[in-house]
Amino acid sequence: MVQLGSRLLRGRGGHVVIRFALGGCTNRPFFRIVAANSRRARDGKYLEQLGCLDPLPNAHGEKVAGLNLERLRYWLGCGAQLSRPAEKLLGLAGYLPLHPMTVTGAERLRRRRQREQQPEAAPADGSAEPGTSTGTGTGTAP
Amino acid sequence: MLRALRRCRPGPVPLPALPPALGPGLGPGLGPGLCPAWAPRAVPVRGRKTRHDPPAKSKAGRVKLPPPVDPEELLVVLERYRQHRLVLSALRAEFRAEVLQRQREERLAAGGSAEELEEHRRLMAWNEEQNARQRARREERLRKEEEEQKRRKLEIAEKQARKMEAFLEEKEKEVLQLQEEAKNFITPENLEARIEECLDNPRNYNFAIDKDGRIVKRTVLS
Repeated sequence: MVQLGSRLLRGRGGHVVIRFALGGCTNRPFFRIVAANSRRARDGKYLEQLGCLDPLPNAHGEKVAGLNLERLRYWLGCGAQLSRPAEKLLGLAGYLPLHPMTVTGAERLRRRRQREQQPEAAPADGSAEPGTSTGTGTGTAP
Repeated sequence: MLRALRRCRPGPVPLPALPPALGPGLGPGLGPGLCPAWAPRAVPVRGRKTRHDPPAKSKAGRVKLPPPVDPEELLVVLERYRQHRLVLSALRAEFRAEVLQRQREERLAAGGSAEELEEHRRLMAWNEEQNARQRARREERLRKEEEEQKRRKLEIAEKQARKMEAFLEEKEKEVLQLQEEAKNFITPENLEARIEECLDNPRNYNFAIDKDGRIVKRTVLS
């Protein structure tokens, strides 16, 4: 029996959205990439499943995702919106252009790592240099 | 330019000037002498208290500041977003065109054989022709009505003009008549002379009339 709540009544709006529906068990998430009406619950009834994503890395250290590109193309042609994580995933997959925040996040991470390495390198160099200079000095001096 | 850029103005602040509640919040890249002007705020999660419960005393002096924004990074990110959206909309348009094309082909294929298509085209042409005919008639009618309207307007205008002229003429005539009569008016200057005149020429206004309406002006007195 279809129970139509007031949220889903016709004539109030709503659009098709390609997003992640969470499934799985405790401490074991699993996402299904799904085309659904935007007013539906996250894990509720959807129009079509377009793929899946396993957020936990597998034995080889890979995060595996499956995508049905043809149907995705169809839904995008019908005017479906994308959620942000879906956009990022598709950007990383190469089907859509890379999301700006992916690039920005990577840059920030790199900068942070560099900053972390520099203080380590500076004291490390500071402690290593007198050692090397004394070593070379003693080595060169016959 | 943007609300986010306004947050950038108070940059990193020397250590003693800060509120004491910062201690362990120093980020890795900030150095010993500087601290960020914002305090890392806790993620707002509604745990025990609802929104109607009053905040705790320990939070009395708490100042919530928005996250800091680097203006250069922001500009770069905005430019990237703009290009990303451009590409995305172009892709969407392409996909849409593809879907429409497929639908059209499907419809044509499902439409049937060549005869049906031919018939369809013929009927469409006939319909177009009928429409054209109706349009021609309608335009003709409209044109005639317009001309009629113009003619009527002209007539009315002419009639008005004529009426105006007639009215003016009448008024002129009246004025002239009055001027003529004014010569015979009795003015204070003429008064004496006219009285003399009247007294000198007595007129007899008496008359007799019988039941048949015959008037007799000659009386016994005159």
